[in-house]
Amino acid sequence: MFWRLVFQLLRGNRARLTVAILALVSGAAVISGLLNLDLGVEYQLTQQFRTLGANVVIAAKSVDPAPGTAHANSALMDEDAVLIPVQKVAGSNASFAPFAFIVARAQATQVVVVGTWLDQIQKLNPTWKLEGNWVSSRDDQTQCLVGRNTAKQLRLTTGSRLQLQYLTRASACTVSGIVDSGAADDNQVFMNLQVVQTLADLHGKVSLVQLSVGGAPKSIAMVAEQLSEALPQFQVRPIREVTEAEGALLGRIRLLIVSMIILILALTALCVLATMAALAVERRADVGLMKALGGSISRIVGFFVAEVGVLGACGGLIGAFLGAALSYWMGLRVFDTAISPQWEVFPVTILLMTIVAMAGVLPLRMLGEVKPAIILRGE
Amino acid sequence: MSNVVQVENLRKDFGKVCALGGVSFGIEEGEWIAIMGPSGSGKTTLINILGGLDTPTSGQAMVDGVDVGRLDEAGLTRFRAEKIGFVFQQFHLVSYLTAIENVMLAQYFHSTTDEKEAQQALERVGLGDRLEHLPSQMSGGEQQRVAVARALINQPKLILADEPTGNLDEANEKIVIDLLRELHAERRTILMVTHAPSIGSLADRRIDFSHGHLVPYVAALASERP
Repeated sequence: MFWRLVFQLLRGNRARLTVAILALVSGAAVISGLLNLDLGVEYQLTQQFRTLGANVVIAAKSVDPAPGTAHANSALMDEDAVLIPVQKVAGSNASFAPFAFIVARAQATQVVVVGTWLDQIQKLNPTWKLEGNWVSSRDDQTQCLVGRNTAKQLRLTTGSRLQLQYLTRASACTVSGIVDSGAADDNQVFMNLQVVQTLADLHGKVSLVQLSVGGAPKSIAMVAEQLSEALPQFQVRPIREVTEAEGALLGRIRLLIVSMIILILALTALCVLATMAALAVERRADVGLMKALGGSISRIVGFFVAEVGVLGACGGLIGAFLGAALSYWMGLRVFDTAISPQWEVFPVTILLMTIVAMAGVLPLRMLGEVKPAIILRGE
Repeated sequence: MSNVVQVENLRKDFGKVCALGGVSFGIEEGEWIAIMGPSGSGKTTLINILGGLDTPTSGQAMVDGVDVGRLDEAGLTRFRAEKIGFVFQQFHLVSYLTAIENVMLAQYFHSTTDEKEAQQALERVGLGDRLEHLPSQMSGGEQQRVAVARALINQPKLILADEPTGNLDEANEKIVIDLLRELHAERRTILMVTHAPSIGSLADRRIDFSHGHLVPYVAALASERP
């Protein structure tokens, strides 16, 4: 009988309750959309920030490990000692490459030659523009990439032959591509690591390892910490500019989203409250009659609590689906990628809307004061 | 015979207005009593106190051994659910519940619902074909018959009917009166407020009120009825 009566309450007052359910559905749709966005934006932002390149650098302890700078090989690391632990700790969640820097001569000009894994260089520097072709194998000893300024200085174009001299040893490569990074990389020559190690007689030695770790700032910091533990003899540092920028942006977006959610919850609660207050006045006669028939106020109010609970849950459910569609659309508009519905948002939205709908119970307190004798007299 | 209702020196004041000025009387089980008197004479106040809808200022109102004036809010609620069946002039049905649901509502507040029993109660008042109709889909007489079925469903000790035919046409009035007659024949105790002497004359006894007091003359009508 309880649920039968609750259903009849909902049916019998559907005109007025439509206002409440519209408020709940609208509120739930926006909240669900924002929650989906909040969860999805972290993934989207980390993907976007990953395009900024390496965010963790490993170097010998005496070296300032700023990326992209040339070093005299004063502090070198053993290649296997660093790369094996790096592969083990971060291999599945990161792109990485070792670097060795030497200063060689080309056409009587000194140039910084960077030895690295050329098949990884695009992943570590996704913002680079390239004229020509990337080198797809780290074993390719015949091709190299040349920075834009160096290419101009040495009058090199793609397909040109570059001769390099380091002390008494010489090496040559064909320019596969011209790099335009807008940074110091434009003044460098990039060759596969093995070539540089042979040229400088640095077999098995590297100056730096750069990693581009995926995930939120916290997970990047966690990977850096794990690497520090695995490589106590080396210096492991997250590049804070990137991770902190990402963290700060995420924090601001989250604050905005949480503020909006609180505001929307308050507005929805006010709307439900106003509707239920009007209904409570209309229902005084019914409550007076129910009391006369022997209904305790707790049992009578129980009907109305269940009624608003059902309203809240239904509004939350419908709104959660609409919100998922909303966040999908917003993802496409803002990030050019759809944000998939996060299933945990559904129960959270339904729960929030049910709690908000319970604000509608507050005006029902006045029903406790209803005197059946007065109501039944028609006053 | 034992008295189902025993009222002793019952008084009810609303501020300075005396609605009941110390009335005393008793009603035996199975009696049909007509309460009569002009408007404002205290009839409804008496019904409200005996039905646990109001409390006396002083005096005692015993219904089936329960002193209504001593009950707290929760006690009054249980008392109304278990001992009293109300029939109001304005019917007072819940507008969004069907006939059978209105009857079951009284069952729900009493104990548990039994749809079959509620259906039988409505069949008894001639509404077996109107079970799923809303009050707005029924005539005044039919609504009052639903109210009678609702009043009977929990086998109350006392049926309180406040002008039960006051809003009915002649045909429906007769139907409701016939129902009350049947209940009386089943030895139900009925206390009925009415303005109509013709209806009052059907009761076993008539108690007349004036300005909150019993009129000294109490007619024993049962013997006068044909």
